[in-house]
Amino acid sequence: MTTIPLPSSGPVRDTIEARPEGDNYLTHTRGLFSWIFTLDHKRIGVMYMWSVLGAFLLGGIFALLVRTELLTPGPTITEDANTYNQWFTLHGAIMVFLVIIPSIPAALGNIILPVMLGAKDVAFPRLNLFSYYLWVTGAILCIASLAMGGFDTGWTFYTPYSTTTTAGGVIPVLTAAFVLGFSSIFTGLNFVVTVHKLRPPGMTWFRMPLFLWALYATAIIQVLATPVLGITLLLLIVERTVNIGIFNPAMGGDPVLYQHFFWFYSHPAVYIMILPAMGIISEIIAVNSHRSIFGYRFIAFSSIAIAMFSFIVWGHHMFTSGQSALLNTLFSAISFSVAIPSAVKVFNWIATLYKGSVSLTTPMWYALAFLFLFTIGGLTGLHLATLSTDVHLHDTYFVVAHFHYVMMGSALIAMIGGLHHWWPKIFGRMYDERLGTIACWIIFIGFNVTFFTQFILGAKGMPRRYYDYQPEFQVYHVISTIGSYTMAFGFVLTAVSLFGSFFTGRKAPANPWGGRSLEWQCASPPPFDNFAKAPRVGDCYDFSVVHWDEKTGGYWVDESADPEVNPGAGGAKAAH
Amino acid sequence: MSMTSQIISHAASKASALAALAQSGAASEPTAPTFWMPTGASTIAGGVDHTLDVINWICYVFFALILVLMVYFVVKYRHRKGERFRTDFPHHNTPLEVTWSIIPTIIVIGIFVVGFRSYLDIYTAPKNAFDIKVTAQKWAWNFQYPNGATSDDLYVPAGRPVRLILRSSDVLHSLYIPDFRVKRDIVPGRYTYAWFQCDYPSGQPGKSPRDPNAKKVEGPEDPAQVYNLHCTEYCGTGHSKMNRYVYVLDEASFSQWMIDQSQWLDKIPEEELFFKAGPKIFARCQQCHSLDGTKGIGPSWQGIVERVKAYPNVGEGKKYGTWEDYVRTSILVPGDYVVPTYGNVMPSFKGQLNDKAIDAVIGYMEHLSDFDPKTGKYLKADAAK
Repeated sequence: MTTIPLPSSGPVRDTIEARPEGDNYLTHTRGLFSWIFTLDHKRIGVMYMWSVLGAFLLGGIFALLVRTELLTPGPTITEDANTYNQWFTLHGAIMVFLVIIPSIPAALGNIILPVMLGAKDVAFPRLNLFSYYLWVTGAILCIASLAMGGFDTGWTFYTPYSTTTTAGGVIPVLTAAFVLGFSSIFTGLNFVVTVHKLRPPGMTWFRMPLFLWALYATAIIQVLATPVLGITLLLLIVERTVNIGIFNPAMGGDPVLYQHFFWFYSHPAVYIMILPAMGIISEIIAVNSHRSIFGYRFIAFSSIAIAMFSFIVWGHHMFTSGQSALLNTLFSAISFSVAIPSAVKVFNWIATLYKGSVSLTTPMWYALAFLFLFTIGGLTGLHLATLSTDVHLHDTYFVVAHFHYVMMGSALIAMIGGLHHWWPKIFGRMYDERLGTIACWIIFIGFNVTFFTQFILGAKGMPRRYYDYQPEFQVYHVISTIGSYTMAFGFVLTAVSLFGSFFTGRKAPANPWGGRSLEWQCASPPPFDNFAKAPRVGDCYDFSVVHWDEKTGGYWVDESADPEVNPGAGGAKAAH
Repeated sequence: MSMTSQIISHAASKASALAALAQSGAASEPTAPTFWMPTGASTIAGGVDHTLDVINWICYVFFALILVLMVYFVVKYRHRKGERFRTDFPHHNTPLEVTWSIIPTIIVIGIFVVGFRSYLDIYTAPKNAFDIKVTAQKWAWNFQYPNGATSDDLYVPAGRPVRLILRSSDVLHSLYIPDFRVKRDIVPGRYTYAWFQCDYPSGQPGKSPRDPNAKKVEGPEDPAQVYNLHCTEYCGTGHSKMNRYVYVLDEASFSQWMIDQSQWLDKIPEEELFFKAGPKIFARCQQCHSLDGTKGIGPSWQGIVERVKAYPNVGEGKKYGTWEDYVRTSILVPGDYVVPTYGNVMPSFKGQLNDKAIDAVIGYMEHLSDFDPKTGKYLKADAAK
C-alpha cells in the first residue's frame, strides 16, 4: 500500500494540521535516552506495553509446559513434581502480577487515557516513569528468584507452606510482588488525579468515554486495596526470616488470617483486571456499532458499583477453610450482588448492537469473543458463589476454568482487542485485518477447547495443582492441551499480523474505525503534546457527525455539526 | 422469566422432598455419573447435584438468550463501509434497564436460597455420628478409629453418619471425596470437621477399584465400587500423591475390620515381623523413600544399614549409639539427623508407629536384600513357609 497523506478534506482539526509532516511522539526526539528518561505518557505506555507483552510470552511458555506435562498421568516431560510445581507457580505469578494487572491500566491506559481525556499528559509524569521502573525492578526480581532456587508456593503464597518451603526464591518473589504493588498504586494515584484535575473545559463527568470511567474505578481499587497486599507480603517476609508467629500456628498465629489478608487484596484485584477490560469493550462496541452506547449511565454506575462490591466479597474464596457458617452465608449472599451489575453491563452491550451500524473489524471480533467468554465466566461464578456447590467445586479444575474465562478469556482478550483497536493510533500503521480476524477466531476456539474441558474435569472431581492424576481424567487433559497449542498458534498469528503492520501496513488514518472520542481526532500517531490547544469536547458517542472519507481510507468528524460544540448547528444534526 | 421461576420452584420442591426423604431414614442409592458430576454416593450428594442442575439450567437459558441476540443483531445490523449510519436507535430505556436489573436480582436470590438449604445439610453433622480422627501430613493420611486402630485408607460403616475430625501436623491440606461431595480444609493449629453418610456398602479392600467411566452403577452390592479421596489444598512436592480410597463396609464387617485392624501388628510373631509388617508399613514411606536407590524427597533405603554404620555422624556432627538408634530417632524426631543435601521435611511419626512397628521397619531395612527392589516382593516367601 502506498502512503496516504493525512486527511485534507472536510474541516480538519487544528490539532492535526499545525504539525510538520512526520512529526509525532515516536519521532519527536530520537535516541535511546530520549526513551528511557522520557516523561511522555505515550512513550511510557509503549515501554509498558512491550514489557508486558514480553512477560506474557514468558508466562505463556510456562503455561504450555504445564499443559504438556499434563498430557499423561505421571511424568511426561519432567520426572520431578517440584519442577512442575514451580512451573504453575511461575505461570500464575507472572500472569497476575506482571501481565494482567498492569496490562490495561499501565500499558493501554497510559497511552490512551490523557489523549481520550483531552489532556497533554498525566498529572504526575515523573511518578509515571518511576512506576514503570518499579515494574521493571519487580520483573527483574521475579526472574532473579528463579536463579536463587525458584519458588513453589503457588501464586497465592498460602502459609504455612510458603514460610516453611525450602525453595530459595520465595523472598525475592515476595519482594517482587511488593514492588509491583507500588507500581500499581502509583499508576492508580496518577489516573485518579488526572481524571479529577486535567479534564478540559466541557469534559464533564458524564461526557467522559466509558473507558475512562472504568480506568477511574480501577484506579480507586488500586489505591485502596494494593497497600493491604504490600503489608501482607511484608509480614510474610518477616515471618519467613525471623519467624514472628503471625501466621504460624505453632506460635499462636493463624494461617487463615493470611488468607483473609491475601484475598482482601486479591479479590478486588480481579476487578482491577476486569473493570478496564469492560471499559475497552464499551469503547469497541460503541465505536464499531456507530451508535450511542445503550444506557451510558447504567454502565458508568455499574463500574462504580462493582468497584465497591469488590471489597466485601473476599470471603467467598474461603468457604471450605473453616470460616464460620454465618460468615460463609453472608459472603455467599454478597457475592451474588456482584453478578447484577455485571449482568446489566452485558445486557447494555447487547442492546448497543440493536439498530446499530455494526462494522465487523478485528477489534469488534475480539469484543464479540469477550461477550461470549465473559458470559460463561460470569455465569459459572454462580456455581462458585452458591455454598453447597462451591464445597464440591472449590480447588478443582472448575475453579481454574472459571477464573481463566474471566481473567484470560475476558480481561486478556479485551486487552488484545484494545491493542487492535488503538494499534493504528499508537504506531500509525494498519495491520492485516483479515489475518488479525483469523487469529482472533483461532484463539477463541483454542481457548474454549482448553478451558471448557476443564469445567467438566473439575466437576468430575479433578483437584487443581496436581502433577499426577487418575487415568480416567486423561482424555480431558489431552483435549485441553490440544486447545492450549491451538491458542498458542493463534497468538503467533496475532503477532505476525501486528508486527507485519510495520513492514507492509498502510499508513493509518487519524480515525480508521469511525470513533468519536478525542483520541480519534488527533493524528495517528499523536503529536508529542497530543493537542496544540485544549480541544473542544462534544458528545463522544454521537456518531451522526462521523463521515467516511474514501481518500484517507478513514473517517472524519464534523465537529461543527455537533450542537454541543457549535450551538448554531442544530439543524445540520437533525438532517441526518 | 416464567421459565426460570418454574425451574426454581421445581428445584425448591425437589430439594425439600429430598430433605424429607433423608429425615424419614430412607436409604439413598448411589447415583450414576452424569455429563458433569461423578457418582453421588452420599446422602447429601442429591441436594448438591440438584442445586447444580438448577444453576446449570439458568445458565443455559441466559447464555442461549445472550448468544442468539448477539448473533441476530450483528447479522441484522451489519454495516458496510460508506453506508450511512442508522440514527433510529434508542439511547436508553429506563423501564427496560430496571427490569433487567431486577430479574437477575430475583434469580440470584433464588439460587442463594437453594444453595443455602443444601449447605446446611453439609455443614452440620448429626449428633449420633461415628467419629474418625484424621491426621494429614506431607504427604500421607492417617485415619484413627475409636478402638485405636489406624489405617492409610479410609474405612467407614454404611448406613450411619460419619464425622471426620481433621487436623494437620504441618501445612494446609484439604480432604476431598468427590463422590460424596465433601470437602474441608485442614488447618494446622485447629480442628475442622467434615461429615457424610453412605447408605450402601462399597467394594472390599483388595479388589480392583471401580471403573469411573462406567455408565451405570452396578447396584448396592457391586464389589467393584470404591471411592477416591484426594488432598485439594496445595501442599508441595507430594500433593498429587495424597490419593487414597474410601471403603464403605456394612455395619458387621466394619466392626470386625476395626477389631482386626487394631490387632494386626500384635498378631504377627516377632520373627515374621520384618516381612509381614515391614512392607505394609513401608507403604507409608514410599512417597519419599525408594528401595532401589532412586533419589526421592528423602534418601533411598537401599544400602541404608551399611551407610549408617559407615558414617556414624550424620547431620551436624550429632552422634548416635547404634544404627537402630539412628533409625528410631529418624522416625520419631526426623530433624535430628538430616542427611546432607536433603531438606528437613519429614514429619514425625510419633504416636503413629509404636515400638513394634519401628522394630518391623528396622528388621525390614536389615533384610532389604531379600526383597525385590522394584516391586517390594519378598523373595524368600517360599522358604519362610
